[in-house]
Amino acid sequence: MAVAEKKLSRKLEEIHERIRAEIPWEPLGPTPMPDMPDLRSWDMRLLKTYKPFYAPFCDLCCLCTYGKCDLTGGKRGACGIDIATQQARIVLLACLMGCSAHAAHGAHILEHLIEKHGADKKIDLGGSIEIEAPHIRTVLGLKPETLGDLQIAIDYVFKEVSHLLDSCHTGQEGAALDYESKALHAGMLDHVGMEAADIAQIVGFGYPTSVADTPLVDMGWGAIDKSKPTILVSGHNPATSTELIDYLREHNLEDKVEVAGVCCTALETTRYSDKAKIVGPLSRQLFFMRAGIADVIMTDEQCIRTDTPQEATKVGAAVVACLDKAMYGLEDATDMDPDEIVRRMVDDGEHFAILDSSKAAEVAVKVAMELAPKRRKEWVTEEEAMELAEKCNNCGMCEQVCPNLCRIGAGITELAKGNFEPMRVLFNECIGCGKCEEECPRHVPIFRLMQVAAGNETWKARAGRGPIMDTEIRTVGAPITLGTIPGVVAIVGCSNFPDIEDVADMVDEFAKRKYIVVLSGCSAMVAGMKKDADGKTVYEKYPPDFEGGGVVNVGSCVANSHITGAAIKIANIFAALPLRGNYEVMADYVLNRVGAVGVAWGAMSQKAASIATGCNRLGIPVVLGPHSSKYRRLYLSRKEEDDWRVMDARKKEIVDTGEPSPEHLAYVCETKEKAMPMIAKLCIRKNDTPQGRAIKLNHYISLHKKYIGGGLPEDLHLFVRRDADIPLVYKKEVRAHLQEIGWQPKEPVGLPTYIGTYPSKVSVDAVIH
Amino acid sequence: MSAVLPRHRVNVLTGTKSARLIEDPAEYADLIKKAKRPLLVVGPLLLESTADGKLLLEYALDLAKAGGIPVCATAQTRGKIVELGVQPDCLYDAVEIVNALKDPDWQGVKKEGNHDLVMFCGIRSDLGNQGLSTLKHFARHLKTMTLCKHYFPHATYSLPNFKKDSEWYEFLESLIANLKKGD
Ligand code: SF4
Ligand code: SF4
Ligand code: SF4
Repeated sequence: MAVAEKKLSRKLEEIHERIRAEIPWEPLGPTPMPDMPDLRSWDMRLLKTYKPFYAPFCDLCCLCTYGKCDLTGGKRGACGIDIATQQARIVLLACLMGCSAHAAHGAHILEHLIEKHGADKKIDLGGSIEIEAPHIRTVLGLKPETLGDLQIAIDYVFKEVSHLLDSCHTGQEGAALDYESKALHAGMLDHVGMEAADIAQIVGFGYPTSVADTPLVDMGWGAIDKSKPTILVSGHNPATSTELIDYLREHNLEDKVEVAGVCCTALETTRYSDKAKIVGPLSRQLFFMRAGIADVIMTDEQCIRTDTPQEATKVGAAVVACLDKAMYGLEDATDMDPDEIVRRMVDDGEHFAILDSSKAAEVAVKVAMELAPKRRKEWVTEEEAMELAEKCNNCGMCEQVCPNLCRIGAGITELAKGNFEPMRVLFNECIGCGKCEEECPRHVPIFRLMQVAAGNETWKARAGRGPIMDTEIRTVGAPITLGTIPGVVAIVGCSNFPDIEDVADMVDEFAKRKYIVVLSGCSAMVAGMKKDADGKTVYEKYPPDFEGGGVVNVGSCVANSHITGAAIKIANIFAALPLRGNYEVMADYVLNRVGAVGVAWGAMSQKAASIATGCNRLGIPVVLGPHSSKYRRLYLSRKEEDDWRVMDARKKEIVDTGEPSPEHLAYVCETKEKAMPMIAKLCIRKNDTPQGRAIKLNHYISLHKKYIGGGLPEDLHLFVRRDADIPLVYKKEVRAHLQEIGWQPKEPVGLPTYIGTYPSKVSVDAVIH
Repeated sequence: MSAVLPRHRVNVLTGTKSARLIEDPAEYADLIKKAKRPLLVVGPLLLESTADGKLLLEYALDLAKAGGIPVCATAQTRGKIVELGVQPDCLYDAVEIVNALKDPDWQGVKKEGNHDLVMFCGIRSDLGNQGLSTLKHFARHLKTMTLCKHYFPHATYSLPNFKKDSEWYEFLESLIANLKKGD
């Protein structure tokens, strides 16, 4: 016993030392730098209401040499694992990949920037941001002041990731719920890693901060001047693309060489230079490579095509692999003479890995300038396309392999007849994987045909602005928690959309209704890829402020941490609850009182899995698109059948509210039409005032009527507490409906919280501000 | 075990247990008739029309009527069903109905006990197949059946991949006729 206590205190002592616990910027809460079990009881409370729902992708497990094991019909694997636990294990693995990708990205950026500026470089996010790192402050209990302090956060994440990964080994964890708790832990860590990475980038690269109206940047390949040498940057890590911009600036070449980006590196690069162009989301990567516009492709990390060198060779472009995560089997030319590399790339068509970013930048520019005049960059004409399409006999093979179930053969058949419209529609559904072209027995060049559908339209996207300002939080804190701003809708993540235009439609629908709409990653680009009748994108139509009716692009994937960070800031700045080492209180506040919902409509990657799971631990529900059923796990409640009891912290009484708010934590919608009212519904919180509730229900009802039809939402009665909650416009109809079904009014809860309804170190008083 | 490949190969290779392929409408009708508490779940793909302008949803509603089967409307199908003068028996989205079905103690749409046969029609094949996988693994108290024009490996019973839509319509018409016939 004595030994155990001593060990514990030594561990705590170490934590206190790392986070400089003696500096009293806030009292230290119960869980600084939490280990796996420290927040387990919070997780179990969440999982009691939001039970994991598994959709196995495969009947088998093939992770060790005992297997493959058949897990159907209740059978267990040779190690004893059952199918539910195995799914949870795979979900945890996915979250760990995602979390590692962001944290390692952060580590690399920090190494790069510490080398450049030193570990003591101060963190300064501008005059409007004092709470610079809400996640690091909350989770670690550390107030980071320098780049070196961010390293402490990354080291903590790395350590926890190792323990979590260990738990995935054969013959370890044996309960699905415990794997879920670990996945939630990984998700939380992910937001810490992302935050460290993005703060480092903002500080080190001088990205915009403490500002809302960042520049509008050009988007679409039509925006790229094909007559100039063109360099495509692809991936997520801006260490190289910023060096590239620096090189062009230093050599007065910024107007002579085009820099275009796909995926998050595009967002990062436009935070650094508004002359850089955005090609589009990940789904346009292969398409753009095959179009042959880029003379040089610089890859960094995450979501880059793993066949980039092969694709580049096909069109005579050159590849520089800039990061150790993806070297494609290329020769490592980091220590080679740049002129020699340039010669071999230009004359011999070779590709190289160059892990020194300034050298990579120099080589890329020189190669692009030499290659560009030698290459033909011509867009296929409508006539050529019709001719090429004639090869197609509509056999349907392409359709069988399309992950988005596109009727591509039918589109090509129409195109051959001169009807381009179906192909234009398909281009918006296409996720750009190239499977169709690979499968076609007649070698129809489907991607070239798509060029005609793609057109040359250009759009605008607002450059990512980083964290939400403390000043903005002060203004919106009250209306969000009262419900008079009906919600914060964060549309985030990858481009595996059922239809690319869904995103702009969602942004428009919710911004119009005065929700706060926040965007990041590929979704932030795609939001700008549709124009209204006046030719305006949502970025031109709505203000860039974090306020009702604002449309805010925070930046790339790692900037997602600023969205969840804003939720923490509401609890900390507006509600004045201490956040330091106080994760449970923050998450409980967000879950019960902040009407925020994440929408990952095209989630594809493991990073999206960990980001979403991190949102969930923090009490933010996430709506996913239909593909996300392949993540294997959702967190669903069963409305009337589940436990909706909360503690009323003021009265210190447990109240059975019967109100499923928020109804689910991770939910898949099949269609945009279903997602619209669901998003509105998931913004409802028990804390809403009657006025706020009436506003939220107004939107829920009206979106339901607009997109689903057939009358009032079937579960409306569950969200009406008293007559005052009923929106004015629907008063008569709703009253009649409630009377018909025998609805009874109930008292709203003064201060709803989960604390006090499950075993926790935190006392109920901790949630009272 | 069937060696049929699903229409959309993203759903391929479920592992060890794949759906029994049935091509005979009479056999399908018999399976439905044998069920004590069947349920039909309809999805948004049924909002499309045949070349002749018949709404696919009408097939599903005719089938439900012929077999006396309650209908669960998912996504935005509710509006159209109501427009056609029918009240769906329940409103759950795809993942919600699957979530309810996998609970053996759920009392079902008619509060008479959980369903023993659940038919799906009109849900996109990736989501549909994942939902069927949930039921295959966690709802061994019921059987599943698909009515879409493609093969769904995670179901208990599935139709084949029809080469032509017209073959599928014929199957559905014949199935409805068989159900109308009674025992
Ligand atoms: S990890 Fe377990 S279930 Fe998987 S193959 Fe090995 S013994 Fe089988
Ligand atoms: S696989 Fe080729 S030939 Fe067949 S439908 Fe598709 S494009 Fe046409
Ligand atoms: S490239 Fe597009 S159309 Fe072709 S298989 Fe992939 S998603 Fe489908």
